Amino acid sequence: MTAAFRSRRVLATSAAVVALLLAVLLSLAVGARPIAPGTVLDALLHGGTGDDAEVVRQLRIPRTVIGLMVGAALALAGTALQGITRNPIADPGILGISQGSSVAVVLAIAFLGVHSLSGYVWFAFAGAALASVAVYAIASSGRGGATPVKLALGGAAINALLLSVTTGVLTTKAAALDEFRFWQIGSLDGRDAATIGQIWPFLLLGAVLVLSVARGLDALALGEDVAKGLGQKVATVRIVGGLGATVLTGAAVAAAGPIAFVGLAVPHIARAVVGSDHRWVLPMAALIGPVMVLVADVAGRIVFPPGEVPAGVMTALIGVPFLVTLVRRKAVPA
Amino acid sequence: MTRLTARGLTLAYENRVVVEDLDLEVPDGKVTVIVGPNACGKSTTLRALGRLLKPVRGAVLLDGEELAKLPTKRIARSIGLLPQTPVAPEAITVADLVARGRQPHQAWWKQWSEEDERAVTEAMARTDVAALADRSVDELSGGQRQRVWIAMALAQETDLLLLDEPTTYLDIAHQVEVLDLVRRLNRTRGRTVVLVLHDLNQAARYADHLIAMKAGRVVAQGAPAEIVTDAMVRDVFGLPAVVVPDPVTGSPLVVPGAPWDAAVSSDAP
Amino acid sequence: MSLTEKAPAAVARPGATRPAGYGLVRTGPASFLVHRRSVLAAAVLLLLLAAVSVAYLCVGERTIAPGEVLTILTGGDSPAAFVVEELRAPRLVTALAVGAAFGIAGALIQTVARNPLASPDIIGISQGAGAVTVAAMTFGLASYTVLPYLSIAGGVLAAALVYVFAWRGGLHATRFVLIGIGFAIALRSLITLFMTKGDFLVAQQAQIWLTGSLNGRGWEESAPVRWTLLLMLPAVLWAARAQRTVSLDDATATALGVRLGRVRLGLVAVGVVLASVATGVAGPVDFVALLAPQIARRVTRTAQIPLFCSALLGALIVTAADLIGRRLFSPVELPVGVLTAAVGAPYLIWLIVRSRTGEKA
Repeated sequence: MTAAFRSRRVLATSAAVVALLLAVLLSLAVGARPIAPGTVLDALLHGGTGDDAEVVRQLRIPRTVIGLMVGAALALAGTALQGITRNPIADPGILGISQGSSVAVVLAIAFLGVHSLSGYVWFAFAGAALASVAVYAIASSGRGGATPVKLALGGAAINALLLSVTTGVLTTKAAALDEFRFWQIGSLDGRDAATIGQIWPFLLLGAVLVLSVARGLDALALGEDVAKGLGQKVATVRIVGGLGATVLTGAAVAAAGPIAFVGLAVPHIARAVVGSDHRWVLPMAALIGPVMVLVADVAGRIVFPPGEVPAGVMTALIGVPFLVTLVRRKAVPA
Repeated sequence: MTRLTARGLTLAYENRVVVEDLDLEVPDGKVTVIVGPNACGKSTTLRALGRLLKPVRGAVLLDGEELAKLPTKRIARSIGLLPQTPVAPEAITVADLVARGRQPHQAWWKQWSEEDERAVTEAMARTDVAALADRSVDELSGGQRQRVWIAMALAQETDLLLLDEPTTYLDIAHQVEVLDLVRRLNRTRGRTVVLVLHDLNQAARYADHLIAMKAGRVVAQGAPAEIVTDAMVRDVFGLPAVVVPDPVTGSPLVVPGAPWDAAVSSDAP
Repeated sequence: MSLTEKAPAAVARPGATRPAGYGLVRTGPASFLVHRRSVLAAAVLLLLLAAVSVAYLCVGERTIAPGEVLTILTGGDSPAAFVVEELRAPRLVTALAVGAAFGIAGALIQTVARNPLASPDIIGISQGAGAVTVAAMTFGLASYTVLPYLSIAGGVLAAALVYVFAWRGGLHATRFVLIGIGFAIALRSLITLFMTKGDFLVAQQAQIWLTGSLNGRGWEESAPVRWTLLLMLPAVLWAARAQRTVSLDDATATALGVRLGRVRLGLVAVGVVLASVATGVAGPVDFVALLAPQIARRVTRTAQIPLFCSALLGALIVTAADLIGRRLFSPVELPVGVLTAAVGAPYLIWLIVRSRTGEKA
């Protein structure tokens, strides 16, 4: 590894930090009510008063922080999933894991009368876990094991399955529909500040789990047999990494609803910039993920004023061209 | 006399040129073998001869007409090609797979003529897979499966047969079987066969006409006895070797230099 | 086993090299292969379908005896004629047509995608139709008579986009599937967005449409799918034969003279049109397109998916599901999509469980 490469990595990471700070500033300043950066800083640092400062503090800071957390969580989860499944298009949305969380939440809302975040976050985890296991099992059947296409199809099948459960519930329970239709759209809007306090422990746990298997993911990238030859306990790496990804996905979905494609695109961007050593890729992903989510959120705020396009829709609209390019470049082995 | 020729053929994958400005003639009624080191373009050339790959420049000609301009079904009645790793649908039986070879001769109203039946029966008899007719292809051994694929190509009843590395993954007994079968087809039926082989000695044994390629160009061609020499092997494969007559057939036998030996080697620790 | 001296294995039965299980019909130069088991299966399915159809017409708020139903169908007069002819028969025909269309579409998409888990929903057709429909409902863009045609357009457009983006010197199954899944997810997010933009009643209607329902689908409403099936019959017959040729690997198929690019496009086009039209009429009825072809293939035990049996099974599933949905919690009607999901979901789970025991999917 050349010195040039090493310094490039450091440079890239610093650039990412700067980008993140800018994104945060944007997120705090831009909106239906544009606020000058100066006022923003004033509100943050000097406890300024006035309507603008209130908007910053009450609405935008929580929104931005949630965007940060969700972006980081999904990016880390996506990186872990891509490493574990050795599949460049793995992503919590494509593999049906986000949908698993959604279904669990809708069931909790409809049948168990759970209406608070701290209540249904546990369901979100359970749903994510069950979905991951199911997808892996269904994709590993037949010849060839869990190839990328089979995994994607397995995810789509699980998605369809879970979606039908959701629609079945929503068709029969009208009250649930009214609450759920707003929840199921991945959005940073209307999420409450209390969410932050409830989510961050899970985020931390998931991040620790994923970071702990960084070396294992590096080895796994060389192939299962090679990894074993290098002394890695492949099953442990998969389980711990999978657990981390599940916790992160569950937390993110519980906080902001299902936001797709962040977990798909960000790991690729991170790898393109800092190479494939997961000890660098993971932190980079954790920096770029929030940038993507916050930028999407900001774009959604200004694209059709005065209405907002939710971040989840914006990431999907950006993510699809990304996926198309990736697949067309034959970056995905059949 | 040559029905199948290539003129000024340039072949590329994506933007990577693999074969450049190649001229080649496949002599009729003979067994032609293409050899060369890895990535020299031999498989690529064969695929182009079988119109699986469109040339960037130049053309492949069949009976004087450009392949690219001929209807694909017509080509399929004249040229049969067996690729390196053919894939059969799950759970297909041997008879069914061999029967697929008759597709170029069939139509929606002519789904199983007497011709078809005869061709398939003969093909299966000649490759000795008739007893396996109702077995599932997935269950067969590597050697049996390869014979079934060859039977399919035979059932196609083409004058020209192109085989891309038909002996890979087979043990030596089966390799010899397949090559003997190819020779019989050629000698008894006069079929023109073109093979890509990676084993130079097998190629020297079975080829009537040998073509050695390197880096996308033809380096030498002719009868094995004439072109397989120490110099050619060193030039094309980068291998120091000694060429002696094969004790059984008399064809050239390539014997590599002595294996690495600490006592003799100059890079001893 | 040596080739040289062994006597060729005795060809035990006449025509032993003909693919097993096929009967041969030869008249002069023409010859036709008929798969016996498929014919048998089709006959059984037709009988089942007839029985379920009669049951469909008998059962309802007012139960009508089968004998009376048959009288009405054969033109006789009866006090129940109105109910049967004006209310139930049109909906039955819709169910049959929609089911058949989904069955065929599923079979073709699975063949081209080379995977039993592929279905029109996963390549964006349902989502394309859904996005257009929900948008139209939410923003009041079209009347209810025009809506089905908008849905059809949405489905076809989505699939066309997927095809265009996946095409690169040919259509590869993997690219097609992956890009389709991506589009499906993106369109799905659009649908959820639109669902929040209207009032609750509209959302409820949209939700029911999204589940797949035959309610209120009578003679007129089913016109698109009936006509399409009729007009596409030659294409479907072509597809039934062409299907066989794309199941080998690309190189071998091309070597056998198959124009892979065209054949795949043709198969996909037929599948897309049928799925889009069926979705336009009844909404995305889950799982029929996934289930019917796989069950059909297991029944006929052929290497490729039988189109005719898939169509029959699709019709059977939808009709039976709607029948049960109408009566189960009577007088409340369950949309047919809920019932098909109720069957489809366990099937998927069974697939998963079966895979754990190491069997091939």
